[in-house]
Amino acid sequence: MRGRVILGTDAALSWRNRIGKNAVVNTKSKALRVMASAALAAAVAFQATAADTQTKSQEGRDKGAYIPTIWVDPDGCEHWVMDDGAEGYMTPHTSRQGIPVCRRGNVCGMMNSDQFFATNSYRIHGQGKARLAEFFQNTGAVSYIITGHTDSRASDEYNMRLSYNRANAVAAVAASVGASIADVRGYGERLPAVPNNSAGGMAKNRRVEIICIR
Amino acid sequence: MVEMKILMVTACAFGLTACGDYEGVGGGYTSNKSYDGGIDKKHLSQLQAGIWVDPNGCDHWIIDDGIEGYLSARLDKYGKPVCSGVAPPNQTVGDFKGGSNIPDPN
Repeated sequence: MRGRVILGTDAALSWRNRIGKNAVVNTKSKALRVMASAALAAAVAFQATAADTQTKSQEGRDKGAYIPTIWVDPDGCEHWVMDDGAEGYMTPHTSRQGIPVCRRGNVCGMMNSDQFFATNSYRIHGQGKARLAEFFQNTGAVSYIITGHTDSRASDEYNMRLSYNRANAVAAVAASVGASIADVRGYGERLPAVPNNSAGGMAKNRRVEIICIR
Repeated sequence: MVEMKILMVTACAFGLTACGDYEGVGGGYTSNKSYDGGIDKKHLSQLQAGIWVDPNGCDHWIIDDGIEGYLSARLDKYGKPVCSGVAPPNQTVGDFKGGSNIPDPN
């Protein structure tokens, strides 16, 4: 997770912090009144802006406000859904980073890399191949998404390559027993499952995840 | 607009839409779009989906709920499209019309 800047969240956080600080430090009622009037002014200004952009589509009883509910798909992930009487609308519920909001995961196989690969290697030993082949034969999903991950040691570029090679090695075993592979990816050290600040944490991050598509 | 309202009233007469929440001319529905109030009335969490495979081979959830249609991307936990290969492009899978008794003209 090096060098990643989450602009939206950081901005929102700092804004919240500022509000929080004001509320704690300025306990005088005068300060609170000033804040309240400022907030009111902001609200009025926002309403005026919304009114300026009115079209026929905002002239109804709902004033153009569409409040959705949540529909959960068979994978367990949420979608925003609305019915305005004659039309239906739906779109995935994702975080601002584009990650779907799900109530359960579809990771059906979590391989501890240490049990299948030697350090820096992407070759699966015979016993590991047999275990994997058995897994894919018994699971019987429509298809599989296989993603490799590493800990944070070595360079980002090296880890991206190693994790991809390991995911491909797993996919090759799957294909050898007739399993269908939807996608193979290497995420390197960029999506750690847990912090890399301990030997145990790093071991947990060295993994290959298998997603089952049913 | 007048034509729209006539259509609306006709649809209401046939019980196709959420008229329970509809307040005639100059009225309309509230902002709460979370349920279907037609003859196939239900909270939208109860919708019944199938899969539609797009021309690129990737899956979408498809729902035909009477006169409303819904389509939304099937994503994996990383936010990438799921392209499962469950069917060839353009094909649907599963009883995505099963949640409503209002038939399609096909």
